[in-house]
Amino acid sequence: MSILELQQVSKSFDGIKAVDGVSLSFEGGKITGLIGPNGAGKTTLFHLITGFLRPDAGAIYYKGKRIDGLPPWRIAAEGIGRLFQDVRVFRQLTVLENVLVAFRNQPDDKPWVAFLPFRRLKDIERENLEKARYWIQFVGLEGMENARAEDLSYGQQKLLAIARLLAVDAEILLLDEPTAGVNIKMIRVILDMIERLAKEERKTIIIIEHNMQVIRDIADWVYFMNEGKIISYGLPEEILENKEIRRIYIGMYDSVPVEGG
Amino acid sequence: MSYILHLLILLSIYSVLSLSLNLLVGYTGLFSFAHAAFYGIGAYITTLLMIKAGWGFFPALFIAILGAILLSLIVAIPSLRLKGDYFVLATLGFQTIIFYILYNWVGLTNGPYGIPGIPRPKFLGFGVDSTFAYSVFSILLSGICLLLLWRICESPFGRTLRAIRDDEIAASALGKNIYRFKVLAFVLSGAFASVPGALFASYMRYIDPTSFTLMETVFILSAVLIGGAGNIKGPIIGTVFVILLPEFLRFLHIPDTIAPNVRQILYGLFILILMRLRPQGLGGEYKLQ
Amino acid sequence: MVAQLFANGLATGSIYALSALGFGLIYNTTRVFHIAYGAVYTVSAYLLFALWAQYKIPLGIALIIASILTMLLGILIDIHIYQPLLRQGSSFLIVMISSLAVYIITVNIIALIFGNETKVLRSGVATTFSLGQVILSDVQILQIVALAFAFLTLVLSLKWTNFGKIIRAMRDNPDLLSLMGIDLQKVRWLIFGLGSLLAGLAAMLQALDVGIDPNIGMSAVLIAAVAVIIGGVGILEAPAFGGLLLGVLQSVVIWQASGRWQEAVTFALLILFLLFKPEGIFGQRRRLEEK
Repeated sequence: MSILELQQVSKSFDGIKAVDGVSLSFEGGKITGLIGPNGAGKTTLFHLITGFLRPDAGAIYYKGKRIDGLPPWRIAAEGIGRLFQDVRVFRQLTVLENVLVAFRNQPDDKPWVAFLPFRRLKDIERENLEKARYWIQFVGLEGMENARAEDLSYGQQKLLAIARLLAVDAEILLLDEPTAGVNIKMIRVILDMIERLAKEERKTIIIIEHNMQVIRDIADWVYFMNEGKIISYGLPEEILENKEIRRIYIGMYDSVPVEGG
Repeated sequence: MSYILHLLILLSIYSVLSLSLNLLVGYTGLFSFAHAAFYGIGAYITTLLMIKAGWGFFPALFIAILGAILLSLIVAIPSLRLKGDYFVLATLGFQTIIFYILYNWVGLTNGPYGIPGIPRPKFLGFGVDSTFAYSVFSILLSGICLLLLWRICESPFGRTLRAIRDDEIAASALGKNIYRFKVLAFVLSGAFASVPGALFASYMRYIDPTSFTLMETVFILSAVLIGGAGNIKGPIIGTVFVILLPEFLRFLHIPDTIAPNVRQILYGLFILILMRLRPQGLGGEYKLQ
Repeated sequence: MVAQLFANGLATGSIYALSALGFGLIYNTTRVFHIAYGAVYTVSAYLLFALWAQYKIPLGIALIIASILTMLLGILIDIHIYQPLLRQGSSFLIVMISSLAVYIITVNIIALIFGNETKVLRSGVATTFSLGQVILSDVQILQIVALAFAFLTLVLSLKWTNFGKIIRAMRDNPDLLSLMGIDLQKVRWLIFGLGSLLAGLAAMLQALDVGIDPNIGMSAVLIAAVAVIIGGVGILEAPAFGGLLLGVLQSVVIWQASGRWQEAVTFALLILFLLFKPEGIFGQRRRLEEK
């Protein structure tokens, strides 16, 4: 049963079709890889799903409900979470605050909560504080709760963004290159976590990746995109062995990138 | 002594003005030139109700706050649909229009002639008449506003505002309705700015539109920028600085005729230096982005 | 009657158009919201006052000296205020606030030197000319002529000269310019020099027409900004039309309502444009990509 479906979705910029009549369907509880060379339209596809861009044509359905045309915050609130390629932590907030902002059950849209007596507010916050510390410890940033996000290294910011995404508790997770810039040990932790999220929590995960090892390792299904179109799809082994696809990539992404974390 | 009380009253008025502007500038990242308009609306509505309708201070203040909320919505709802620089320009436009209405609708506001004879507040037959009494009154009322503003800033609402300030796109990807938060922040900021307006009116016992110009907004802004935005102590430091600087100048025997000009030059210099060397201000946290 | 109103509006609008062209030139190419433009404006007017009215230097020479000094001031502001900030990565907002600070400092220095009262440069009645039903003073005619001249020069040089190409490139893609080996410093001198010259011209024409006080710069820069937006951001010739439109509109307002409502009408128009036609009269509707 598909939880997210794109039908004939197209988007052009200045006459160039970034996404060209793409039809996709994602199964709940599965991990789907979205691969393709740079400029293939993968991130644009993410923008379209999350509402940051409106499709020129086609429709996007989430749990049977049409979501294209809705503002990004609505789509996010419906349960579609996203990890950005350029991380985007809240730079002048602390690590703890970054994660706390993400919780959906907090009364942050009610400023008059500030007029309540101190104790009530503390109770509301306590549960979220515990959960926030848990996720921070989970991604390996414990001890850094009070550090300002902008003082963290790139790899640490990435982990923070992941902790923040976990706190959102979304049903669908769109991960844009989650392992880029993270050290090997951490990649393993993240991959294990992604698999657990899919198997145990029944989350639907869509990953844009250039690291083929990752795709081979955890993806249940793969879509290959080039020049705005879906060229091929299937099981990871099939897609990755495919000579045509390897040719398009020209062997650039066979090795696991090792970067400081 | 009475002069020190006068300074305390001014400090109490301007700290609420700067802290409420800080909610917009430092916490939400919205640069608004319209703040003096809400300060003015607070002053004028309170004044008109007290003088023309014989109301007491607090009922008049209540309506003034409602008026400021309404005006904030009128300004915020269209302006917040505009991106960055255009938003700033729109608030500037609204500030000018509101000033012109105060200045030119002589039938309602008496225009440039101002409204004299504003009464002091009365409680149970006792008037808050002496400067000492008024300073206590002003400090108490301002204190309440500051406390509430502080609570708001430290609440989850304040935290989400800061997140929106730092990265709107990431915040909306977390499900936050950015537009709604910004409108809320703007309305809160305007509502709180109206209270010092009422305090000012009843203290001076006379108001005219020239206290609520664009330059007045700039003055409040300089308090926020010099002291620093994004936390609580910054704007307070800034307010103390801009209010006490004239006194310091007086100490240096700068003649009264040129003192206002010298004061403004010093504010300008300070802001220039700070923008260059320390954009988070003397005590603030937020470096303007 | 209508013709006279229109003519008056044209004359005032010419001043607005001149200063809008300068402001727009600077904003469209360097993206600086140059509030200190108002300071340059004020300085120029007072320079003319000092040179001509006070020191009795012949008008022509006074105009030239004042113009040169005005251009220098504009360039200096860029070199010493904006460029250091831009080099250290300051945001648009910090640059704008610094610009505001420069305005405040400059205008108050002028007030210290000359005082806050309105100063008049010419006493007595101005010479007037009749063109059909319309009567215009010598200054008003000069204003219209100055605009026509400046506008034509601008349009022609934008189209045909190298300078024009550089300006347009600066607006569209400044990085490309430096890659092509063109000294961006010199281009900025040119832009700020020219922009300030236009401000100076407008200021001096206004000074010859009506009185001056230390606050004329703020009104001038605000009207210039509104004219740029109404005309269309990104189009270098458009601010002239924005300025003329505002001038004529103000004339009508004076006739219909009262002089007191002029500025309010200007800003009401700004807000209407921002809400319903933010690209201005001549601009193109930009597609909203990323929110």
